[in-house]
Amino acid sequence: MTIHGVIPILRMGDILLTTVHIELHDAVAEGFQADVLTAIEQRRARGLIVDISGLDVVDSYVARILAETGRMALLMGTQTVLVGMRPEVAATLVRMGYRMEGVYAALDLDEGLALLRRLGRR
Amino acid sequence: MPHRHYMTALRLDESEIQTRRSYFELGDDDLARLRTLHGLAEKHTDEFIERFYEHLLRSASTRKFFPDDATIVRVKRAQRQYFLQLFEGRCDREYVQQRVAVGVAHEHVGLAPTWYLGAYRKYLALLQVRLFDDLPAAEAQAAFLSVQKIVFFDMTLALDTYIAAHQETLARHQAALRELSTPVIRVHDGVLLLPLVGAIDSARAQQVMDTVLLRVAEEKAKCIIVDIAGVPVVDTKVADSLVKTTASVRLLGAHTILTGISAQVARTIVHLGVDVSTMHTRARLQEGIELALDLVGKRIAPVRAKRSSGE
Amino acid sequence: MNVEPDAVESLSRREMPIGSEDDVVVVRRAVRALAQKRGFNAFASAALTTATSELTRNVWVHARKGIAILEEVADGGRIGVRVTFEDEGPGIVDLERALAGGFSTARTMGLGLSGSRRLVDAFRIDSAVGRGTTVEIVKWKEP
Ligand SMILES: Nc1ncnc2c1ncn2[C@@H]1O[C@H](COP(=O)(O)OP(=O)(O)O)[C@@H](O)[C@H]1O
Ligand SMILES: [Mg+2]
Repeated sequence: MTIHGVIPILRMGDILLTTVHIELHDAVAEGFQADVLTAIEQRRARGLIVDISGLDVVDSYVARILAETGRMALLMGTQTVLVGMRPEVAATLVRMGYRMEGVYAALDLDEGLALLRRLGRR
Repeated sequence: MPHRHYMTALRLDESEIQTRRSYFELGDDDLARLRTLHGLAEKHTDEFIERFYEHLLRSASTRKFFPDDATIVRVKRAQRQYFLQLFEGRCDREYVQQRVAVGVAHEHVGLAPTWYLGAYRKYLALLQVRLFDDLPAAEAQAAFLSVQKIVFFDMTLALDTYIAAHQETLARHQAALRELSTPVIRVHDGVLLLPLVGAIDSARAQQVMDTVLLRVAEEKAKCIIVDIAGVPVVDTKVADSLVKTTASVRLLGAHTILTGISAQVARTIVHLGVDVSTMHTRARLQEGIELALDLVGKRIAPVRAKRSSGE
Repeated sequence: MNVEPDAVESLSRREMPIGSEDDVVVVRRAVRALAQKRGFNAFASAALTTATSELTRNVWVHARKGIAILEEVADGGRIGVRVTFEDEGPGIVDLERALAGGFSTARTMGLGLSGSRRLVDAFRIDSAVGRGTTVEIVKWKEP
C-alpha cells in the first residue's frame, strides 16, 4: 500500500519545497517519493529542497529513500538539497557507513536556496 | 534525589539488603535487642557528641569542615540522629537510603572515609564502656555484638556509596577535560577553527566529531578548519575519524578544512582508501584560513599604504 | 553484595511485539524514551534509536514477526539500555557476510547489521538457519 499526499509539496518559482515532518515508514516514504517525482515532472522544477530538520531518526531505509529520490530527480534535471539535518543524525549516518550520494546539503532553507541559485548559474 | 540514584546504581533492592544482612548475621533478634537499648543509647550519645566535637574543633585540619556555629549545631543534630537510628531496630529500604545519603554527602563535601570511620570507632569505644557499666556482663556482651553488626552493615553502605559517587565525580572531571580539549573558536562569520593538541584516543575522537557537528549547526558555520599539527600520532583510527567528521559536516551543508597535514598523515589517509578529491586539506593553518575565507567569499588583502598626506 | 562487579543487571524489562511495519516506529520510540529518561545525550540516543530501527526492521522484513525486549541495565555504577531482538524466522545463512555490510538478500542497503553494530557499545548475534535470530545491543550512558 502506498500513501500519497501526506507530505505537502510547495512551489516557489521553479523550486519545489517539502518538509518531512513525520516518521517516514514504508507506505508514506514510497508515496512521498512518487509525489515528489510527479511534481517535478508536472512543474519542470529546477531544484528540490527537502527540509529534514524535523527528523530525529534517519535509518538506512529512510536515508535510501531520500538519496534515491535525489538521484531520480537528478535524472530529470532537478538538483536536490537536503536542509536542516540534525547533528546527531549526520553523525549516526556516517558512523553507520552510509554515504548520501547524489544529493547536496545545506544548513537551512536560505542556504539551500542560495546553493540552488549558485548551481543554476554553473 | 541523589541517594535514589545510588540505590539503583548499587542495586540496593530488597534481596540485596537481605543478602547483606545475612552476611553480617544481622538477625531480627539483633534488631529487637537494639530497640531495647534505645533509651540507654540516647543518654550516652549526647555525651559522646559533646566530647567528640570538642575533640574535632580542637584540631585545625578538622575545624575547616565547620565554618560557623550554625553548621556545628546542624551536623551535631544530624550525627546524633544518625547514631540513634542504629537503635530503632529496623533495617528496611528507608534505613538503607539514609545510610546511602550519608555516603553521598561525605563524597560531596570531600570528607574522606577516614573521618567517618574514625568517628564510628570512637563512638563504639565509648558505647562499649558504658554498656558494660550499665548492664550485667552477659547482656552487655550481647548488646555490643548486635551494635557491632549493624555498624558494619552501615559502614559498607556508606563506603560503597562513597566509592560509587567518587567514580562518578572522576568520570565527570574526565568529561569536562575532554570538553576543554575541543576548543572550537569562531574566527570569522561562518568560519570556525578547532586546533587539536595532544593525543587522540577513540573516546576523544568521538567527542571531537560530536562537538564539531554541534558547533557547526549552532553557529550556522559554512566551514570549520580542523588543525591537526599538534596531534603527535595520527594512526588509521584517528585518520578514519577525521574523514568521518568531514563527511558528516558535509551532510549539514558545511565544509571541513583539515590543516597541519604531514607527509605521514597524507600517507595514512590515502591508504585508508578515502576519496580525497572531496576533502579540503592544506599543509599549514594559514593556507587553511585563506581557503576558508575564500569559501565564504572573503579575502585577506594587504592594506593600501596611506602614507603621503597628498592622497 | 554483588560479588561479580562486572555482571550486567537488569533494572527494568519490557517486551514489545514486532509484527507490522508500524512496529518499527513504535519500538524505536519506546527505546528513545528510555534513553531520554536515562539522560543519554543526543548523539548516543540517536545511535541507539537508529540501531533499534534497523534491527526491528530486520525482524519485520526478514522474519515477519518477533519481539523486542527493552531493558534498563546497570553494571557497577554505569547505566545503559539493552535491547534484544528475537525472532523464529529463517535465520541467517552466511552470518559473516551479513555482518560485513553491503550484503542483502532483500536487495536493500545491507547496512542494518554492520551499521547498527558500529553504533552501539556491545553487539551480540546468534542465528540458526530454520530456527531464528537473536540480536542483542547495549548502549551505555556517557558520564
Ligand atoms: N532477523 C533476520 N532474520 C533473517 N535474516 C536476517 C535477519 N536480519 C538480517 N538478516 C539477513 O542479513 C542480511 C543483511 O541484513 P542487513 O544488514 O540489515 O541488510 P538489509 O536488511 O538491508 O538486507 C539480510 O539481507 C538478511 O539476509
Ligand atoms: Mg536491514
